[in-house]
Amino acid sequence: MRIKGFAIAMLVPVVSILIALAAAPPFAPRPASATPGFARQTGVSCQACHTVFPELTPFGRKFKLNAYVFTNVKQIQATDEQSQRTLSLSDLPPVSVQLQGSNTTLGRGIPDAGVAGDLSQKNSTQFPQALSLFYTGKIADNLGAFLQLTWNPSSNAVGIDNSDLRFANHFSFDSIGVPDFIYGISLNNNPTSQDVWNSTPAWGYPFIFSNVGVPPVTKALLDGQLAQESVGLSAYLFLFEHLYVEVGGYRSAQTSFTNTTTGGPGPLDSTSPLQRISGTAAPYWRVAWEQDWDNHALSFGTYGLSAQVHPPGIGESGPTNTFTDVALDAQYQYITDAHIVSATATWIHEFRKFNNVGLADRAHDWLDTARLTGSYFFKRKIGGSAQFFSTTGSRDLTLYCSPSTFATAPSPACPGAGTGTPSQLLGSANGKPTTQGATFEIDYLPWLNTKIGLQYTAYSKFNGRSHNYDGFGRNASENNLLYVYIWTAF
Amino acid sequence: MKANVMYAVVAGLVLMTAPADAQEKAAPPDLVRRVCSTCHGVGGISISPMFPHLAGQQAVYLETQLKAFRDRSRADPHAQAFMWGMAAQLTDASITEIAAYYAAQRPAPGKPAGRDETAAGKKIFEEGIPAQQVPPCQSCHGDKAVGNGPFPRLAGQHRPYLERQLAAFISNARANEIMHANAQNLTALQISQIAAFLSSP
Repeated sequence: MRIKGFAIAMLVPVVSILIALAAAPPFAPRPASATPGFARQTGVSCQACHTVFPELTPFGRKFKLNAYVFTNVKQIQATDEQSQRTLSLSDLPPVSVQLQGSNTTLGRGIPDAGVAGDLSQKNSTQFPQALSLFYTGKIADNLGAFLQLTWNPSSNAVGIDNSDLRFANHFSFDSIGVPDFIYGISLNNNPTSQDVWNSTPAWGYPFIFSNVGVPPVTKALLDGQLAQESVGLSAYLFLFEHLYVEVGGYRSAQTSFTNTTTGGPGPLDSTSPLQRISGTAAPYWRVAWEQDWDNHALSFGTYGLSAQVHPPGIGESGPTNTFTDVALDAQYQYITDAHIVSATATWIHEFRKFNNVGLADRAHDWLDTARLTGSYFFKRKIGGSAQFFSTTGSRDLTLYCSPSTFATAPSPACPGAGTGTPSQLLGSANGKPTTQGATFEIDYLPWLNTKIGLQYTAYSKFNGRSHNYDGFGRNASENNLLYVYIWTAF
Repeated sequence: MKANVMYAVVAGLVLMTAPADAQEKAAPPDLVRRVCSTCHGVGGISISPMFPHLAGQQAVYLETQLKAFRDRSRADPHAQAFMWGMAAQLTDASITEIAAYYAAQRPAPGKPAGRDETAAGKKIFEEGIPAQQVPPCQSCHGDKAVGNGPFPRLAGQHRPYLERQLAAFISNARANEIMHANAQNLTALQISQIAAFLSSP
């Protein structure tokens, strides 16, 4: 879906680039990990797995680690002569639907792409903002899936959303003091979507957000840039009921790409509009410790990914850029029937090494992303959240589309360089990626599977500055968002 | 290099799957390991007080409750939200196996509570409150509150769980004529005191 948006943008003038970028990550609708398909399969209410959807409880984390296979519905079964089960299918498929509708009000309309000097509509209404179909649950005894198809309003098409196919089982080494533990393998299309804590990017707050806002000029690779555009295979262990260890690797996925020579969906080459992970795979790692006591659950850990990528236009033997993300995260939950308190923190440090001349001013850049979130809910009915976010990084006029780079030719990192337009609104006049602010949200859940929310995002700095950040007079606060939504899954 | 790491990990996991069956005999029942333990602990000691300890619980009581979840005759809010689904496909044989396993585990030791409230709770437990038609709890649950057959062990149980159950008996959210009659005249303070005594070591 998103790749297609980019592909179109490469073929049409700057106006389309602007629209495509505005619709691209990180402002694309994010899927839910909460699905009634799981409830249908387990016969257990949402509150077993979720504090308030989509945030997971300790039970929800275990359910996911066990490959979504726990079931309480009748099974269609087959066994072989050795009494080994060869089939175990749910009588009714764990299928469900998700619907989101929203209204967004921007602080100030963005420039009209067709009429110079005019502005777009300040309000944007979407119904649906996203419509998803899920298969979430058991496939076989130790095999389960979280599969999601989502209709996307920017392309008016249905596409692949988060996908996670996983195998899990239990084992123990009692003789050496290692009690029952879980081991598993996940095949997925979004780094950290396989994670069971809500302090990593894929399932982190905000769980839902406007897709019509102005996207910041950059974000870390692990912060959603590879979502639905990569495929990863990872293996994990959950030991002593505390320690989670996962290692794996990600490759670029051949989604929405047509190789002009074969006419098929691959192989990827320099005509791909997205940067391609080179080599076998980009290694991914995750280590976390969970400590639960009474009504409390605390976790902390690290995750990361190191990718060598070819920018669009560069062939396989050409130079690669290296992006290495090293991240820390933590989560705290207090869960009772009446009161639920959650706090999450994540910090991603990205090392960027540019071997391709012209993409960036410097051979080495860095980017820091930090988010701190707290939320409270009363009886899973009414509650609120607050998040403080910050992105900072090294100054790079070329990479961040400063107007001073207009003389240079368009590049993948700055497609509007030389044309003037994308730097307006989307670029950084001072070449800094600093984007900071806060999101506040109030939610009401008339039922466990329906959330009505009012969310306000305020930027103190956007793409480097509070005032005139793009060099065309736009202020950070003009990108503030008032977002009202309804989100239901059934 | 990266490829080698991945192959090694996958190969390691594949090798680990081989002797799984050999280990399972010494382990708890499979359902306990994979399902029940998620909330109640492998050894029947639960972390969250939302879920009861099952270790050392009376097997007959556990069987009765699992069957009541399965046929939905026990319908307090948590029973509906969690246990109706959990028990829906249990067979009588698996219920017996789970109950026997948890009944054989070492009970939870309990957590200290305030001295005064514990003493007040002990008095109610041992003597009842004749003026409120509350009989002594120990007459059914035993003088050590370890239970007896269909009467559950209460000793060492989570305090919030005990409080919630007494409230559910009073409101009839958990239908039990005897416990409703026994508990209906208890005040919130008395419930808290009884739970404090029972949950303490």
